[in-house]
Amino acid sequence: MIRINNVQVKYGNQLALSINEPIIMEDGDRIGIIGSNGAGKSTLVKTILGLTNYQGSIVTDLKPEEIAVHMQHNHYANTMAVKHIMETILNTSIKKNKMLQELITFFDFEECLKKKYSSLSGGQKQRLTIILVLIQDSPFVFFDEVTSGLDFETRQRLMTKLGEWYLDKNTTLCVVSHYYEELEQLVNKILILEAGQVVDFGNKDELFRNYCGKTVITIENNEKNKELTKSLLKLKAPAHLIALSCQNSDLEKEITGLLIKEDINFKRSNNDIEIMSINAKAHFHENKAGGKNHAEKTA
Amino acid sequence: MQKKQLNWRLVQYELRNIVGNIFVIFFGVFFPIMMSALFSIVIKNQVPEEQYSGAITSIFITMILIVPMAVLLIGYAANYSQELEKDIPLRLNLFGFRERTMLFAKMIAYLIFTTGAFLLYTIFDIIMLDIQVPKLSSALCLIASLYALSVILFILAHGIATIFRKFGPTYAVSMLLYFGFMILCGMMGVSVDQLPKALKAIAKLLPMSYMSGDFAGFWQGGKYNFAPFLQSMLFFGAVSLIILILSIRKNQRVIK
Repeated sequence: MIRINNVQVKYGNQLALSINEPIIMEDGDRIGIIGSNGAGKSTLVKTILGLTNYQGSIVTDLKPEEIAVHMQHNHYANTMAVKHIMETILNTSIKKNKMLQELITFFDFEECLKKKYSSLSGGQKQRLTIILVLIQDSPFVFFDEVTSGLDFETRQRLMTKLGEWYLDKNTTLCVVSHYYEELEQLVNKILILEAGQVVDFGNKDELFRNYCGKTVITIENNEKNKELTKSLLKLKAPAHLIALSCQNSDLEKEITGLLIKEDINFKRSNNDIEIMSINAKAHFHENKAGGKNHAEKTA
Repeated sequence: MQKKQLNWRLVQYELRNIVGNIFVIFFGVFFPIMMSALFSIVIKNQVPEEQYSGAITSIFITMILIVPMAVLLIGYAANYSQELEKDIPLRLNLFGFRERTMLFAKMIAYLIFTTGAFLLYTIFDIIMLDIQVPKLSSALCLIASLYALSVILFILAHGIATIFRKFGPTYAVSMLLYFGFMILCGMMGVSVDQLPKALKAIAKLLPMSYMSGDFAGFWQGGKYNFAPFLQSMLFFGAVSLIILILSIRKNQRVIK
């Protein structure tokens, strides 16, 4: 569907994106694109859409109009009611379009139709673009930080609705997000970016196994827990957590048994994208540093 | 998703966009009517009675030029640059509207709006002022010239807004051109012939100079050499078109 090969994007002298190994996005893929601010996530989306000047090749059998996109920032005219904007973009009448009516109801958007865009709340603005994107029924859809700026409850509801909408569809989805729990529900592949470079790309479960093992158990990072787990294999984790890697079921049982015995609260996961991405990035930086040292030694 | 074609709904959208901008309504519709009324009062005691009707006609022709200049050069440039600043055309482009389609829809909508403004101005001035009855060919000549000028100003405004992509500099440049054109083309009380030699040479490149200075002369008949006027129209159109092409090439969306 889309093959990205040796693509480089520069903003002035700064390298914003550099993809050396080919990335192939196939029919029906649900891809989560993650990375810190400035990692190149939105640049990648814009590059695939042809909105940046890039070197390299992006080969696709899709026409530009077959790619629907919810951009990070979406603005519309403030001079008229949202209803007219929707009807113009979709070239239809809401009264006569049943599918559009269903989507409006699905996203509880009826009360917004007579308002101007500037009068909508953050969540309502996001829902407007989502409705416009979903009704296109495009084979390839980008959602770039579709839930940013929304409260927890609205985010959850939005992602649940998106999941329901695409449940039986073969649409290829690319979802850029900082909220890993949303991606856990929605995607089956992960692309990790760091400072414009690809850390890794692949099946979500395989990446988890590669960087974390079979399962990960996380506990609070305190002195007692540090002492208790000092002999166990630890993974990189956010500062407030200790992440223990379980390579097999026996080890997992052993660790959970120990934690239950010591009355320590823990969380078990076999798809924790946050821990996986932290460790993938650490691995990436170690490899880079190793390669650099090796080059220096050879020189 | 399919490529969206030019349709009436898109033109209606653009019309709503224009009507939603109060500045376009004021400066494009009411301001020229006010100016023509004001100038007619000012000249009343300065012009002999037998020449008054001719002078009023000249004011009518001169002030009608404010309509396309305010609606298109200032109004459209300001509106469109604000849209560009918020990436609204890009958003529509990503929904399948080609730049060309959006451009045509805007042009049609602005021409419809300008037609309304011309009609309103003419009706008010006919009621308020003692305008001479024109020869049909002269009236048609003015109408054709006004539409040609409107299209050129639209192209120029689109080009300026697309180059800067920000409201501030676009508004500054379009206002500078607006007042520049008004001064050079005899709309500020100084006729083209009274300008210094260098400014006069520039004014002669602008079709508005000929319209405000010469059109009243053959309003009720007579001969007129259209060649310099047509040359200026072609020159002004060519410059505007070049600016538009450069601006579009600068911002083209590329799939390699």
